Amino acid sequence: MSALARMRLAGLLRTGRALAPLLAGLITLGTLYGGGRAQPAEAYGVSAVVLFPVLAWQTKILLDVEPDVQRRLAQVTVGVARERLSGLLAAAVAALVTVAVALLFPWLVGGVSGPVGPGDRSIPVGLALGLWAHLLVVPAAVALGALASRASVGGAGYGVAVLTLGGVGAVVFGLTGSVAPWLAPPIMAAARTTAGDAAALTLLGLTGWALAWSAAVVGGYLWRRRAEG
Amino acid sequence: MRLENVWLRYHRRGPWVLQGIDVRIGPGEAAIVLGRNGVGKSTLLQVAAGVLRPGRGRVTDRPARVGWVPERFPADQPFTVTRYLTGMARVAGLGRAAADEAVTFWTDRLGLSGFRSVRLPELSKGTAQKVGLAQAMLRPPGLLVLDEPWEGLDATTRELVPELIADVLAADGSVLISDHRGETVRLPAARRWLVADGSLSEETSSTDETIAVVEVAVPAARVAGTVARLRAEGHQVLRVRSDASTAAPQARPAEPLRSAGAARPAEPSPGAAGELAAVQPEAADPVVEPTAGETR
Repeated sequence: MSALARMRLAGLLRTGRALAPLLAGLITLGTLYGGGRAQPAEAYGVSAVVLFPVLAWQTKILLDVEPDVQRRLAQVTVGVARERLSGLLAAAVAALVTVAVALLFPWLVGGVSGPVGPGDRSIPVGLALGLWAHLLVVPAAVALGALASRASVGGAGYGVAVLTLGGVGAVVFGLTGSVAPWLAPPIMAAARTTAGDAAALTLLGLTGWALAWSAAVVGGYLWRRRAEG
Repeated sequence: MRLENVWLRYHRRGPWVLQGIDVRIGPGEAAIVLGRNGVGKSTLLQVAAGVLRPGRGRVTDRPARVGWVPERFPADQPFTVTRYLTGMARVAGLGRAAADEAVTFWTDRLGLSGFRSVRLPELSKGTAQKVGLAQAMLRPPGLLVLDEPWEGLDATTRELVPELIADVLAADGSVLISDHRGETVRLPAARRWLVADGSLSEETSSTDETIAVVEVAVPAARVAGTVARLRAEGHQVLRVRSDASTAAPQARPAEPLRSAGAARPAEPSPGAAGELAAVQPEAADPVVEPTAGETR
């Protein structure tokens, strides 16, 4: 599985198609951190929200770079389950690299500050909460990107529609007072949590919610591809 | 491996491409899948290889290692020949050293040594098809599925395909091949599966059956296509001649099959006469003999 994941990551890098989502992510982060300095936890919470569609798009690009016939060759070689898993693994690795850049970025541009008041969190706690918020986004974004991939939905138009609906839905259904918050991954709730009271139970609940949402969407992705193999 | 009551369609409301296919192929056996364009030959091969899942029915006892050569190799990939094949060897489970060794062996054997550092999109169709053959053979497959493997190959490499098949069969593997070019005359011992209307029937060979020769006149420009179509339908084309004076539009009454040695090749490529002579004892159905125009 790792060999196939490596091959797919190499394909993403060699075609240069990784640049588009990376640039989009950097521009978004630049805009986000260009307005002034903020506490790490708060800043990272928002950063994770804006990275969600970027990481989903990056996943779709990674999975779409490979020609359909090559994907089938890989499936014949390693089997159905490992072919699907290796695609998700490659996307997760690529997403983690982007997350690392996102975590580093505000320190390079002076977008974050240390604690200034008595109630402010220390930098390590802020970093930990920021890392949690970003890691929460990775499985959800990978799942959405996989569902939007060509292997899942076929035409490019449907893929863009799935990405757009997923990205907008995550914000709209994640607003406070949403009638159906469970329709979206809890990235908005995570951002509110990092900016407010981050109780352990809350963090655990949101983590479980994100994983369950991601599992459901990955299930949809696998179901869409059920005719293969 | 066995296909048990396999049904397949591409869309929920679409027509069934395969309808109740029930067939078995054992170790050391090869089968040629024949049929007109669009009848489902590639679909059947992809079900056998594990690319497609049957809508109904199932595939059992598929060997663990399957090599699949698609009809068109996906050359639109950002790798050189070496990097691609090494990657596929690693994907197939070979270690680094074994992968390098396998890639060297197969690139040498298939005449790809001079292309090892060439990027896949820059390869000609035939050379890309050789890469497709190589990736399927990097680990000896228990089932080798070849979808039109001769397409685009040069004469030298065309001769290699039966050798690769023989290698797999010798190791107790199974081989499935589709072919519309008539190249499978190089595989006289292979079983012949005819796909038509979603169903599969096996042509049984019997030297006791009466053989008839039908002469057919076609416009010279359509000879190649007619020969290919007749072969795809399972007929043997004994020869093609340009003697228009004998190109009567009606079929003559059946006559006995002449001796194998008397048959002339349908195309002037080296070795073709031998191929036809070899296959004739296996003949079971009427033999068709186009009479007009030159061969390809």
